[in-house]
Amino acid sequence: MSEAISVTGLVKTFGTTRALDGLDLVVGTGEVHGFLGPNGAGKSTTIRTLLGMLRADAGTARLLGGDPWTEAAELHRRLAYVPGDVTLWPQLSGGEVIDLLGRLRGGLDEHRRAELLERFDLDPRKKSRTYSKGNRQKVALIAALASDVELLILDEPTTGLDPLMEEVFREAVREEQRRGDRTVLLSSHILAEVEELCDRVTIIKDGRTVESGTLAGLRHLTRTSVQADLAAPADGLAGLPGVHELRTEGSRVWFDVDTADLDPVLRHLADLGVRGLVSRPPTLEELFLRHYDRTGGSGGRHAGAGR
Amino acid sequence: MSALTGTGHLARLALRRERAIAPWWILLTVSLALTMVAYVNKNMGTYELKLAYLDIIRDNAFLQGLGGRSVEPRLEVLATWRSGGFLYVASAFAAVMSVVRHTRAEEDAGRGELVRSAVVGRHAQLAAALLVAAGSSLLGGLLTAVVLIGIGLEPVGSLAYGAAVAVAGWVFAGVAAVAAQLARNARTATTIGLSVLAVSYVMRYAADASGQDWLRYLSPIGWSHLVRPYQDERWWMLGISALAAAVLAAGAHRLLARRDLGAGLLPERLGRARAPELRGPTSLAWRLHRGLLAKWTAGVAFFALAAAGLSPLGRDLLSRPSLVVDNIRHTLGLPADEMLGAYSWYMILILAYAVALYPVLMTLRLRAEEMSGRAEAVQATAVTRLRWAAGHLVVTGLGTTALMAAAGLVFGTLYSVLVGDLATDLPRFLAGALGAVPAAWCVGALCLLAYAVLPRASAAICWAVWVLTAVLGQVAGPLYGQWGGSPLEPFHYIPNAFAATPVAAGPVLALLAVTALLLGGALLALRRRDFG
Repeated sequence: MSEAISVTGLVKTFGTTRALDGLDLVVGTGEVHGFLGPNGAGKSTTIRTLLGMLRADAGTARLLGGDPWTEAAELHRRLAYVPGDVTLWPQLSGGEVIDLLGRLRGGLDEHRRAELLERFDLDPRKKSRTYSKGNRQKVALIAALASDVELLILDEPTTGLDPLMEEVFREAVREEQRRGDRTVLLSSHILAEVEELCDRVTIIKDGRTVESGTLAGLRHLTRTSVQADLAAPADGLAGLPGVHELRTEGSRVWFDVDTADLDPVLRHLADLGVRGLVSRPPTLEELFLRHYDRTGGSGGRHAGAGR
Repeated sequence: MSALTGTGHLARLALRRERAIAPWWILLTVSLALTMVAYVNKNMGTYELKLAYLDIIRDNAFLQGLGGRSVEPRLEVLATWRSGGFLYVASAFAAVMSVVRHTRAEEDAGRGELVRSAVVGRHAQLAAALLVAAGSSLLGGLLTAVVLIGIGLEPVGSLAYGAAVAVAGWVFAGVAAVAAQLARNARTATTIGLSVLAVSYVMRYAADASGQDWLRYLSPIGWSHLVRPYQDERWWMLGISALAAAVLAAGAHRLLARRDLGAGLLPERLGRARAPELRGPTSLAWRLHRGLLAKWTAGVAFFALAAAGLSPLGRDLLSRPSLVVDNIRHTLGLPADEMLGAYSWYMILILAYAVALYPVLMTLRLRAEEMSGRAEAVQATAVTRLRWAAGHLVVTGLGTTALMAAAGLVFGTLYSVLVGDLATDLPRFLAGALGAVPAAWCVGALCLLAYAVLPRASAAICWAVWVLTAVLGQVAGPLYGQWGGSPLEPFHYIPNAFAATPVAAGPVLALLAVTALLLGGALLALRRRDFG
């Protein structure tokens, strides 16, 4: 698999603040890649470096096989970008902005434009100054999705959209995914969205990559929640390796178990006699929280799983 | 709960926000009044000079339009006459802006909704805005009167003058209140309010210039003039203004009761669904900035018309030498036979220094595009940063040229009709005006360099560059008899098309070279720096 985006050891400082501190990000061609991190982690700075707006202080960044700083305009012909906070020219209508951005990118699929306007339920004749945040976001999304490009860079694209429109957005991204040749970098806060859409994710914190891999691969590194109704008291369960946060109520137990230690724990439960069992894989949210609840830790665990 | 519940709280909120705005308007009004008195004292110090000045006014419709036909050779009357009703306009302008700021702009920003959801009556916001605006106008008028009485002007007339200033604000607060109900957004509301003001002023001016006195009674600004302070103080005219203000305010409240929050009575105009002409950065820049250019063109044309309209005055002065002529000639330091050319060149210079502000403002717009993220949206496409900037620069450069061309064309044409000859004068005026373009470009290029190298400080630097250019220039200094222009500012090097000496190409070429260097440096720096 070739790489649409390849970033290694990226450093960017603003005065004394180190916004990016050796960040790594690899996005394969044709994949939908989730880019996660709390506010101020450096998601937008990374994206703006990839777009050639900012010049990196150290590290390398390759975008569609080119240098994002020196070859910006040529590369931009092949990508479309939706910023997190869309501002439009107040005196232009939504339709005019879509036409303008499409034309500046080098062309726009007329059929797709009309179809997306319909699906996102946007009136293109309204002046941008009268649009709500969600509607401004729709304008940028339609302009991006209607362009015939190889790479979509979407920076928290659904923050202003209502659930109905969010679903329209997800469906549109799935269509891109099905085409197979389109790469999507999706920076997001909404973990459900990332879980549903993304093939792989990269989690960053304080300008550094803390996790990267497929969701399945990442889950492997974390804990599974288990709830069991047992025939006998849960003796000895607390002593097993990998069992955390055990709670007992009569014959019922709740605990988390490191996925690597799942097998011996299940055997132990089976020996006790299982009447009922609910096991849930870790959600991305839990994965996410594990990294950000940990205070002070440098979080430099790089999981190369799943590639 | 009544419809006015919470008015007091909202008025206090509005006052808090006016703290940084209203005092400046009041200061402007008061200092304008004082400036006019000082002006008359300086230029028409004696009774004979005042009489001579009256002679000039009697023969010139443009001057009659400025402040009316009935002038008396007294300090008070001449000072109010010379202000040209500007205090009334300033008071009205401030009131329009204030009312829109606290009504429609609040709704636009969504804050109006937050406020209206609290224990606040439907009419409280509008009532508070009107109270604050009317209060500011009253304070402005009152302080004007007090200060004028303080420097020894006739008390009764000063009070009438102050009252006329205050009621002009009241009427236009009412106009703005109605506009805020009609329009869907603050911009349109402001436009409606200021358009009414502009029409009022033009009607009043036309009435005095043409002698059609009845026209003055149709203009709200005319009502303030009709008070005739220091002459016969027609107090009842104040009543008409106050009544009109009350009717407008009541009407606004009636309209308010009939509309939803955020809605307007005039429908929001829809834009076009497609944009076939927006092809690249240049057409986008033109689309974004053509409104500003249109406003500037109108302003420049207006000033050029006024300047040309006053030129018969120069001719009359030449044929009838007097103390005033000597005074003006002394200021400009010129022999009598070059009076008209010197006057025209002086006016073109004033226009040129003013037009130099245009590229400065356009540079600030560039910065605004960057700060808002809109420039990023363009640069994330196949458009390079330089092409994005070039689009703005093309509009700025050509816009500056067009403004000076308009200045020369309008000035030259009317001048030719009034006192000159079209075939010889129009080319001279055009050449003179266009000759100033490289200097204006140079000012813009310096600002662009500041924007490219020090984006954060660029707004302050841009304004400083323009103010310094104007202050050091050939207009401001001589006006106060202080200095004759400085070689540090670019307009020092532009060719004077009205001088007898032939035009040398050297300084202009050097100016263009410096401009090109500044521009090149700016673009290089812009390409190399972080953006946004």
